Amino acid sequence: MKLKILPPSMREKKRYILFQVIPEPGEEFAYADLEAGIWNTMLDFLGEYGVSGTSFWLLKDSWNQKEHKGIIRCNNKSVNTVVACLGLIDRLGDNRVCFKILKVSGTIKKLKKY
Amino acid sequence: MNYYDFHIHSAFSEGESTIEQIAKRAKVLGFKGICFAEYFKNENQIDQLKQEIKKISQNEKINIYLGFEARSITELKKLKDIRKKYDVLLVRGGIPELNRKAVETKQVDILTHPELDQRDSGLNHILAKLAHKNNVAIEINFRQILQSYKGTRSHILEKMKTNIRLCKKYKAPIIICSGAISHLQLKDPFILISMLTLLGLEIKEAKKAISETPENIIKIIKKRQNKKWIMPGVEVE
Repeated sequence: MKLKILPPSMREKKRYILFQVIPEPGEEFAYADLEAGIWNTMLDFLGEYGVSGTSFWLLKDSWNQKEHKGIIRCNNKSVNTVVACLGLIDRLGDNRVCFKILKVSGTIKKLKKY
Repeated sequence: MNYYDFHIHSAFSEGESTIEQIAKRAKVLGFKGICFAEYFKNENQIDQLKQEIKKISQNEKINIYLGFEARSITELKKLKDIRKKYDVLLVRGGIPELNRKAVETKQVDILTHPELDQRDSGLNHILAKLAHKNNVAIEINFRQILQSYKGTRSHILEKMKTNIRLCKKYKAPIIICSGAISHLQLKDPFILISMLTLLGLEIKEAKKAISETPENIIKIIKKRQNKKWIMPGVEVE
């Protein structure tokens, strides 16, 4: 039996964070490094319980390896928590990186302009 | 909104990156202005630094200010005497006597990381009141959080929360800086604002700490560089 979907007022309010990773010239990292780096930092800083409250998810399909741009989904109350965690990442694998937040929006469609 | 980072070390002091590298990265991250906090060696160094900063500021189209970070009371006295020659005076917190001296001195703009290497937060209600009276901004240093781990990081965050609570109560200005010693440690303004909200500030107050507080310091810099200015509270008509 398939569950009926929740009415809009009962659903969690989502936010999508568009970010860009700025690597050092000549250094390149893989998507797996990014995923591991973000998850490990989030779990270290917030703990398992803290991460559960953010509804965090890294959207794999939206990752652009050429421009180093990606999208994170979280709930509307945890945007600042997730962004602060991104600031604590200074390395992905062996590569030194810096995160830039480009836009926060309620839909993925609006982020496509950036 | 204009964002500023007022505590960055270049290769002139303990930093690892050149002024140019830092200015380029700050521009990419969206800062309107940055301030280099160097260690004072001698007066000749000031002119040399000023010339380099002016050149890079014009090339990269970003406002760059020159600041000095006093690490002891004697260094603070020396820097106070030549206050008109540079823009921003920062005091490296961490020693209780120096913290007290910094918030008592009107010429000081920023007290950096007052909680550094201390068991307490480095501030109390008296120092917070003095900081408000003398308009000395209390810094929240992002590098302290970035370079610590696990237990140490949680202690630092706890002390920062205490300082923010005191500053809010006594209306002392708060400023957030990256405290970067390399261009890699510069952080996006949104990240700095988010960290402040985690430490107990409202979004409006957090934005004020990265935008309005530095702008107030810039206003004072401009006033000080005016020929009519002699010392705090004394101006020639």
